Amino acid sequence: MPATGRSLFPYFAIALLAAGLAWATSFSTLPPADFTFVNGTEVESVDPARVTGSPEGRIITALFEGLYRPDPKTLQPLEAVALRHEVSDDNKVYTFHLRKDAKWSDRDGTPVTAHDFAWSWLRLLHPETGSQYAFLLTECVVNAKKYQSGPDVGDPVEVELADRKNPLEPHPHGTLLAGKLISIVKAPKPTFGPTDSDVGKERLLDEWTDKWVYTVEIEGKGRQFCKKPELVNPKLEKCAQVLLDRQQVGIKALNDWQFQVRLISPTPYFVYLTQFYPLFPVQRACVERYGYPGWVKEEHIVTNGAYQMEFRKARNRIRLRKNPRYWDAANVKIEVADALAVESSATGLNMYLEGQVDWTPAPPPAVITKLRERDDYYGEASLTIAFYRVNVTRSKNKPLDNVLVRRALNMAIDKQALCDNLLRAGQKPARSFVPPGLDGYEPALCREYDVKKAQQLLSEAGYPGGRGIDSVEILYNSSGDHGTSAEFIGDCWRKNLGLKVSYRSLEWGTYLSTVDKLGYDISRSGWTGDYPDPNTFLNLFVSHGEQNQTGWKNPQYDKLIEAAGRETDPQRRMRIFHDAEVILMDELPIIPIYSYVIVNMVKPYVHGFYANAQDVHPLRDLWIDQTEREKYLERSKRR
Amino acid sequence: MISFLVRRTAWMVVTLWIVFTASFLLMRAVPGGPFSQERKVDRDVRRNLEKRYKLDQPLYRQYWTNLVDTVRYRDLGPSMKLKDYTVNEIIAQGFPVSASLGILALSLALAVGLTSGTVAALRRQRLLDVTVMGIATVGIAVPNFWLAGVSIVLFVFVWPLLPAAGWGSPAQLVLPVVCLAAPYAAYIARLTRTGMLDVLSQDYIRTAQAKGLAPHRIVIHHALRGAVLPVVSFLGPAVAAILTGSLVIEQIFFLPGLGRAFISAALQRDYPVAMGLVLIYTIILYVMNMVVDISYRVLDPRVKLS
Repeated sequence: MPATGRSLFPYFAIALLAAGLAWATSFSTLPPADFTFVNGTEVESVDPARVTGSPEGRIITALFEGLYRPDPKTLQPLEAVALRHEVSDDNKVYTFHLRKDAKWSDRDGTPVTAHDFAWSWLRLLHPETGSQYAFLLTECVVNAKKYQSGPDVGDPVEVELADRKNPLEPHPHGTLLAGKLISIVKAPKPTFGPTDSDVGKERLLDEWTDKWVYTVEIEGKGRQFCKKPELVNPKLEKCAQVLLDRQQVGIKALNDWQFQVRLISPTPYFVYLTQFYPLFPVQRACVERYGYPGWVKEEHIVTNGAYQMEFRKARNRIRLRKNPRYWDAANVKIEVADALAVESSATGLNMYLEGQVDWTPAPPPAVITKLRERDDYYGEASLTIAFYRVNVTRSKNKPLDNVLVRRALNMAIDKQALCDNLLRAGQKPARSFVPPGLDGYEPALCREYDVKKAQQLLSEAGYPGGRGIDSVEILYNSSGDHGTSAEFIGDCWRKNLGLKVSYRSLEWGTYLSTVDKLGYDISRSGWTGDYPDPNTFLNLFVSHGEQNQTGWKNPQYDKLIEAAGRETDPQRRMRIFHDAEVILMDELPIIPIYSYVIVNMVKPYVHGFYANAQDVHPLRDLWIDQTEREKYLERSKRR
Repeated sequence: MISFLVRRTAWMVVTLWIVFTASFLLMRAVPGGPFSQERKVDRDVRRNLEKRYKLDQPLYRQYWTNLVDTVRYRDLGPSMKLKDYTVNEIIAQGFPVSASLGILALSLALAVGLTSGTVAALRRQRLLDVTVMGIATVGIAVPNFWLAGVSIVLFVFVWPLLPAAGWGSPAQLVLPVVCLAAPYAAYIARLTRTGMLDVLSQDYIRTAQAKGLAPHRIVIHHALRGAVLPVVSFLGPAVAAILTGSLVIEQIFFLPGLGRAFISAALQRDYPVAMGLVLIYTIILYVMNMVVDISYRVLDPRVKLS
C-alpha cells in the first residue's frame, strides 16, 4: 500500500467516526402521547385468536370489542356490540341482539354484524388457527369440539380441497365441498415401544392421521379424499381438511343483527366469556385480503374497538389512537395512548416515579411494602392461586397416597409467615383452591397451620416423627423466586414433621413435562382463572382432567363437577361447587399456599381506574384530569 | 490484498456454515420447545403450530429447508414468539438502535480511553498516572448493571437531570451510553498506556526528540500511531460485541435493541430469531477482524497480509 494511504488513515478514521456519530444521533422525536403505560413484555401478537397473555389482552381490548365489555369496577357485563340478549327456557340458547351503529375502522365504515362474530368464532375454532383459547368455546358450545377435532362417520361435513393460495393460511379457504361422511378408513393405529419418546409418539400419530382415507358422499356421488394421497394411493383426491359442516356448530348469525349460540349445557358464566378477548370479532375482509401476519400490520389492520393501531415498534411501543368510527367515541376521553414494552419491572417503576409513564402494573415485589403506603397504590386479590401438587401415586416409603400424610403436610406449613416474612408483596395465605372474592361463592377451607395436630396426624398414619418416610423432593421451575418459597416450605416440614426434604429446580420446559409425567413427589404450581367462576379452578382436578397431573381420582368429585355443569339455578350451582371443593380440601391432592395480589401504580390524576380481581382496566374507561395533572407535575417539580 | 480478501471471505462462508449447524443442533438439543407452557395445548393445535413453523418435519429436513431459505432468500422465517414479525423485521428494527448506541459508546470510550491512557503514560509513576489507572481498574471491575443502578439513583432521582429510561431523545441516551462505554474506556486507557510506554522507548522517538521536535508533535504524530495498535486489535471484537447490543443496558434503560431480542429468543426457544442473531454476530465479528487486519497493515508498515 502506498505511503499516502498511511498518512491519510487517521483522517479517514476520524471522518468515519464522525459520520457514524452523525447517523447515531439523528433522531426523529415522537410527539408525546396523552397517556403512557407500561405494558410488560412485548406482545406476541395482536390477533385475538393467537395469544394468551395479559399484555396482549390490554392491547387487544383497546383495539377490538366483543359482544359485551366488563364494567371496570364490578366486571359485570355492559353493553358493547351487543345491546342485550335472550336466554331460552332451558338456559342453553343465547340470542344476542347487536347494535346497528357498531362500525369497523375501514374506509367505508362497514358495520359490525352477527356474521363477523360467527366467522371469527369459527376461525378461533379452526384447527389450523392454533388458538390455545379455543377451549373456551369447545367446552360449552354445541359441536365446537367436533369442528375442531374432526367429524365422525355419518356427520355432514365440508371438505376443503388442497387448492389454497397459501397452504399455511387457513383463511381464505380453498374450495369447499359439502357432503356426508360415509367412512374413514384408517390403517392400524401405530404401536409404541417403551423407548419411544413423547415427541416420537406424537409424530407417529400425526403421520397415521394424515393417511386416513375419507369417503364423502357429495351430490349423490361417493368421493375419496386423503390429506397425503402420495403416501397411500395417488388416485385419491388430495384435501386440506375434512371438518364438520359449520352449520352443525352452535354458532349462527340469524341475520345481520342477531347472533345465536347454542350451548351443550347451561353455562352461567357464558356472558362473561364474551367479554374476553379471544371471542372478539375480526374483520373477515381484512384477514382474507392480507393473510397473517399481513393483516395485523399497522397499515392494514381494521378494528372495531375504541382505538386503532397507529404504529408498532417491536420491543418498544404500540401507539394507539382513538377510533373516530367507534360507536361510543364521544365517551372515549384519551386521544393518544402509548403502550411501552418494558420487560423489567424495576425500569417500569423508575419511569413511573420519574413521570414518564402514568400507569405501571406489577412493580418489583421487593419494594411493595414501601409502595403500599402510597395513595397511588392499587392492590387487589387476584384470581391467581399458588399451590403445591402432591403426587398421590407415590406410596410405600413416600406415602403421599395417604390422606393423613397429605393433611399433615398442609397443617405443617406456616403460610402466614411465608407471606409476611418472605414474599412480602401482599400475598394472602390460602386455605382454599378457589381464591376468595368470587361473586356468590363460598370457598371450602382446608385446615389451618397447627403443628401439634400435624404431628399427631403423621403418627396416626404410622410415621411418628417422620420415621419411615424417605426424603421427599420438592420440584419447582427455576425462574423467579420459587426456590426460596420451596425452601421455606421444606423447612417447615423438616422442623415440624421431621421429614427429610430435597429440592429440584428445572428449567420451565423440562419442568412442565416432568409434572405432566408425574415424575415428581411434590411440585410448585400456579393457576389463574380464565373467567370469574369456580369452574375454571375446580374443573382442573376431575379424574381425567388434562391439568390434574396429581394422579388423584375421586368419582364423587367428578359427579359433583358434572352436576354443577348441568345445574341451572345459580345458587344451587355454587353450593355444588362448594361441596366439590370440600372434597378437594379434605383429600388435598393439592395444597393451596397463597393467593396472589395484583398491584398497579396509577397517577392520581388518572380517573376511571379500579382495582379488580381480573386486572382488567379498559383504556376506553380511563380519563385524565388535566388541571390536576398540571398541579401534580408542578408539585413534583418543586419537590 | 485482493487474494487476502477473497480467502478471508471464503473462510467466512465456511465459518458461518459451521456456526449455523452448531446453533441449529444445540438449540434443538435443549429440552422444551417454543410452545411449552403450563396450560396444555391440544394435540391438533400444537400440531398446526408446528406445521406453520415446519417443526413437524424430520430434523434433517428442517435443517435443509432452513439452510436453503437462509442462503437463497436471506429469509430467516417468522419469529415463533413475536408472531406478528419475521426475524428480518426484528433485526431491521433492533439493529439501528443497538448500532447507534454502540457507535456513541465506542466513540466516547475511544475519546476518553485514548486521552487518559496517553496522559497516564506521559506522567508515568506520578499521581495522575496512578489516579487514572486506578479509575480504569475500577471501571473494568465494576459490572455495568451496578453502574447503571447507581447513576439512575444519582442523576434521575437525587439530581433530576436525566430521564430514567426510554429511546427517542438525546437526553435519554446519556446514561446508557456512559454506562456502556465505561468498561471499554477503561480497557482502552490501559491498552493505550502500555502501547505508549512501549513506543516512547523506541529509537525513532529518541531520534525525533534529538531533532528537537515539540513534545506534543512527537506524541501525536509519531508515538500515538504505534501506541494504538493494541487498541485497534481490541476494537475488532469490541465493535462486534457493542453493535449487537448489550442485554443489561438495554433492559435497564428500556432500549429496543438486539441484546434483549437475543436473550429472550434464547430463553423462549424462539429458534429462528436466535439463529438470525447468532449469524449477524458472526458476520460482524468476522468483518471487523478483517478490517482490523487491514488497518494494521496501514498503520504499521512492518505487517504483511498473508
